[in-house]
Amino acid sequence: MRGPAIIGVDTGGTFTDIVAHVDGELRTHKLLSTPHNPALAVLQGLRELLPGSLPFGLTYSTTVATNALLERKGARVVLLTTAGFEDLIEIGRQNRPQLYALEPWRAEPLVPRNLRIGVCERMLYDGTVHVELKPSSIRKAVERVRRLRPDAVAVCFLHSYANPNHERRLGKAVARLGDLFCSLSHELVAEYREYERLSTTVINAYVGPVMSRHLNELSAGLDGRRFRVLQSNGGAISAAVAGREAVRTCLSGPAGGVSGAWRVAQALKLDRTITFDMGGTSTDVSILEGGPRYNSEWTIDDLPLKVPSIDMHTVGAGGGSIAFVDAGGVMKVGPQSAGADPGPACYGKGRLPTVTDANVVLGRLAASSFLGGRIALDRDRALRALRQLGKRLRLSPEAAAEGVVRIVNASMERAIRRVSVERGYDPREYALIAFGGAAGQHCCELATALDVPQVVVPLHPGLLSAWGAATADVQRDHVKTVRLVDPAFGTLRRILQPMQELARAEILAEGVRRDRLRIISTADVRYQGQAHEINVPCDSRYASAFHSAHKRLYGYADKARRIEVVNVRVLAQGRTARPRMTQAQAATAQTPAHHRVRSGGHWKSARIWPRSSLVVGRLLRGPALIVEFSATTFVPEGWRARMHPAGHLVLVRGN
Amino acid sequence: MKARQKRRSARQSSVDIDPITLEVFNHRLSAIAEEMGVALCRSAFSPNIKERRDFSCALFDAYGGLVAQAAHIPVHLGSTQLSVEAAIAERPMAPGDVVMLNDPYAGGTHLPDVTLVAPVYLSRERRPFGYVANRAHHADIGGGTPGSMPLATEILQEGLRIPPVRLVAAGRMNEDVLDLFLANTRVTDERRGDLLAQLAALRLGARRLVELSGLAGRRRVAAAMLALPAYTARLMTAALRRIRPGLYQAQDWMDDDGAGALSVPIRVAVRLANGRAVVDFHGTAPQVAGGINANFAVTTAAVLYVFQCLAGQSIPANAGLMKPIRILAPEGSLVNACFPSAVAGGNVETSQRIVDVLFKALARAAPEMVPAASCGSMNNFSIGGRDINRHRDFAYYETIAGGAGAGPTRAALSAVHTHMTNTLNTPIEALEASYPMRIVSYSIRRGSGGSGQHRGGDGVRREIELLAPAQATVLTERRRLAPFGVNGGQPGKRGLNQFFSGGKWRRVAGKVTLRVQIGDRIAVETPGGGGWGRRATPRRWDAET
Repeated sequence: MRGPAIIGVDTGGTFTDIVAHVDGELRTHKLLSTPHNPALAVLQGLRELLPGSLPFGLTYSTTVATNALLERKGARVVLLTTAGFEDLIEIGRQNRPQLYALEPWRAEPLVPRNLRIGVCERMLYDGTVHVELKPSSIRKAVERVRRLRPDAVAVCFLHSYANPNHERRLGKAVARLGDLFCSLSHELVAEYREYERLSTTVINAYVGPVMSRHLNELSAGLDGRRFRVLQSNGGAISAAVAGREAVRTCLSGPAGGVSGAWRVAQALKLDRTITFDMGGTSTDVSILEGGPRYNSEWTIDDLPLKVPSIDMHTVGAGGGSIAFVDAGGVMKVGPQSAGADPGPACYGKGRLPTVTDANVVLGRLAASSFLGGRIALDRDRALRALRQLGKRLRLSPEAAAEGVVRIVNASMERAIRRVSVERGYDPREYALIAFGGAAGQHCCELATALDVPQVVVPLHPGLLSAWGAATADVQRDHVKTVRLVDPAFGTLRRILQPMQELARAEILAEGVRRDRLRIISTADVRYQGQAHEINVPCDSRYASAFHSAHKRLYGYADKARRIEVVNVRVLAQGRTARPRMTQAQAATAQTPAHHRVRSGGHWKSARIWPRSSLVVGRLLRGPALIVEFSATTFVPEGWRARMHPAGHLVLVRGN
Repeated sequence: MKARQKRRSARQSSVDIDPITLEVFNHRLSAIAEEMGVALCRSAFSPNIKERRDFSCALFDAYGGLVAQAAHIPVHLGSTQLSVEAAIAERPMAPGDVVMLNDPYAGGTHLPDVTLVAPVYLSRERRPFGYVANRAHHADIGGGTPGSMPLATEILQEGLRIPPVRLVAAGRMNEDVLDLFLANTRVTDERRGDLLAQLAALRLGARRLVELSGLAGRRRVAAAMLALPAYTARLMTAALRRIRPGLYQAQDWMDDDGAGALSVPIRVAVRLANGRAVVDFHGTAPQVAGGINANFAVTTAAVLYVFQCLAGQSIPANAGLMKPIRILAPEGSLVNACFPSAVAGGNVETSQRIVDVLFKALARAAPEMVPAASCGSMNNFSIGGRDINRHRDFAYYETIAGGAGAGPTRAALSAVHTHMTNTLNTPIEALEASYPMRIVSYSIRRGSGGSGQHRGGDGVRREIELLAPAQATVLTERRRLAPFGVNGGQPGKRGLNQFFSGGKWRRVAGKVTLRVQIGDRIAVETPGGGGWGRRATPRRWDAET
């Protein structure tokens, strides 16, 4: 029987990627994005890939909310907050992003001063009302909102996580003004730390109207068929909810890649992996330990966002990063990037040497097979750029190129070590999953530096985000600050229950079957007086789980000390029909081309294998290049590559 | 001193580090300092470390030279090295030892900053391969008032003074020392937790350095640890060459010392020539009775900060920064205080003024770079007493931001920590849940920045209501003498401290200790930054904003 097609769409700045699973067959499509109206490329791509009326379930990963925020093209927002704290949005945490700047700078607040309204009310940390919100104050505030004619309203009162009554009442009154996008802080993040909650609420109001409009447009193009949107936590949610809570999608792009990688890890039965997503201007790394981890401390453009998102760390270095020699005579790579325009020198426009140019010079990117030959790489031009760089250090262009690669690898290594120490793990126990345009050229050497024994390059590594969207579970999360010292589990259970019921109802409303529903409850716990929490499963053994996690992370535990449960969290997942990623066609035998690659200061002869020609189980020894449409994988000497039956490329160290 | 340098250069030549390998090691060694910082921040107990990030972690070579530092606040840069040098000189460290110190007269800054130093030994070696250290601001270290930022007249009133002592010997906690330390501080549980966090971070750093030398080779790592500072020195020299050579002088005054001395001068003469700088503080006031004396470590940190700003963001922080810079600070002066002068405010207030005076001097050398005076104070507020509702003692410390000084390219930031500090505010919702205090309002003091072609940033007004009887100390500057503008820019507005008690507000001094009762309020209004450049025409929209 034919089931509905399962589709994942990922729109990025340059390309829109689509993967579709139709009748057990995997179809893929990559087309240029249409940034002025991203829906156009999505609809065109779907038309080209699938016949018109096929029923489908679609999950969409979009950067519309992120871009609205980054480009400051969001809505006109009025902020309602506790009187006396109208400037909190501007004061922030009172720090500056650059430590040694003569003229430090931070982003302008999203709400200018004349659009901030102080409301006479005050809650205390335990939820008691200190100053009652009077009906007259509500009337006055609403009247001022009406006169300011905003597109959206954000409401954030002090301690509203402990008692949301005032926010709710004001929210209701604002809603009566008619068609006005309204976000209340306790609905988005019922968690303490006012500036972060305020910022999240304001961002939501700022990007929400833009996102809703976009999703409505797409929905119209899909003839009103329902679809879901990927959130930053790697889970999907209906477009209607995604429009209302658009802030939850702000980090969904990289989250799609990580969830795609997690599906790959599951297929290969790898429990512990590090994802390594290296693109043109930046690189994201993330740790998967029986699934993605979540974190809710994020910033975009120095603005904090407190929504649970897949935990990852971004480094400002990628294939387009520019190499130069500084005033102290030392080679540096990045953070300046050649971007898409002019791009690396080998693309034919730029002149400055980039990481990609270094890879071309070293033979780690084959000039002829880049993006299926769509862009011919100009090796001579890359060589000229590297020669210029090398001259300053009295090095040959090849030696300079090797230097560029070593340095960029060192900065990646630093990022991965940082992520693992934050988590208390040793990278040696992990496998690396490499994807994104530039990862394949660096993954094996990086693994060597980290002493990681195994690297996986997934099938269609350039489409992994779309794949992550296609296979995403439906997901909702809720959090509540409780601040209880040594609470009995029964107390926590009573607090969790309504949260679990709400989450359950929300997931069922998405059309998920009851037996596919999973609810995970966790708690953020710390020793009393400590200022940082560890997230542990919230069951009757939460205390011992905390002690052992503390021991693992920080080297000590103190069972005599009282512990405090700061927040409780509920994560509800609804499993959707999940296709298997498989290779579309059988391998076509091809003789590999001969090629030269440089590593360790010497040229070595290597072979170029089209990935489509690799037979399952066949073993390849490095040095070799494995090329495909969206990626090139460099297998250095001392590494072996093998094709896994599921289509993923597995690289291992040793002979 | 000479012998040490000779030894260093002799070893440096033994393994050559090329400019690529050096950058690779720059990443690897910085990563170790960073990882220590992450570990300390995440396992610390007090909001002061976790929420405000008032700490730093660093890696040193075998001779105590700074190799890499993860600093969140500039006042730790350059001064931590002096702690490590003092620790090495006083207490040679065997494997498994950890030395603790805070003595401003033996490598410390001010008493609340407690530094731990541990040697890193490689297996089968008899001398340390390097050192790891971290420094954290403890919310209380004893002394006359809770928070240990009292208005004292000698250091012994400021709290527990710890010369370099072994906190851990051969891997075992020296319980005697620990007990002595804890018995002299106010919130002992928190102190113990923070110390444990500091120790855990040191262990991680030491382990990582050992791993790196195993992986990359001992000789290469050692060579890189020497080559990195040399590289930084080259960068600093190149930066100094970009500034017009000459002799530049400036003077400014501290408001007062809190013990009766008014308008205490800081004078500096900067001589720039051939990529070197001599910073001479002759003419600065002798050390004063009140607690605004800066020891040499603090002055060094302030000078380094200024030159690091001029050199640019990306210069690696290590011992090389100091190489082309010479500081002449007369012994027994405000900027090189001797025992037994009180120093709590030197680290937080005088350090800021040293920066402003240096910028004032350099404004003539590099007018295209240098900003006007910033708020010029960390606006320290410390408080403690008995929390009658939670049945426990409490001690709390915070610093309040002000306006930044405007520079040549844009209007300056408001409500931001400048120069020697960058600590975060404590979230109101965290503060009120842990301490008997309520924040009544927290707003920007509009119009407090100096006008000019580019406006100085505005200060902040923070009003705090007390819910328990307590003793509060306000330690602030720029309440008498306004932050100056440059190139014709106007000065920023002075700060103002007010106290509400017995039904009425009254103005209090810039440095004052108050006995507060339930319901009393303290309002701190912080100064604005100076403006930059003459304003061409009066701006009409000022009235509106």
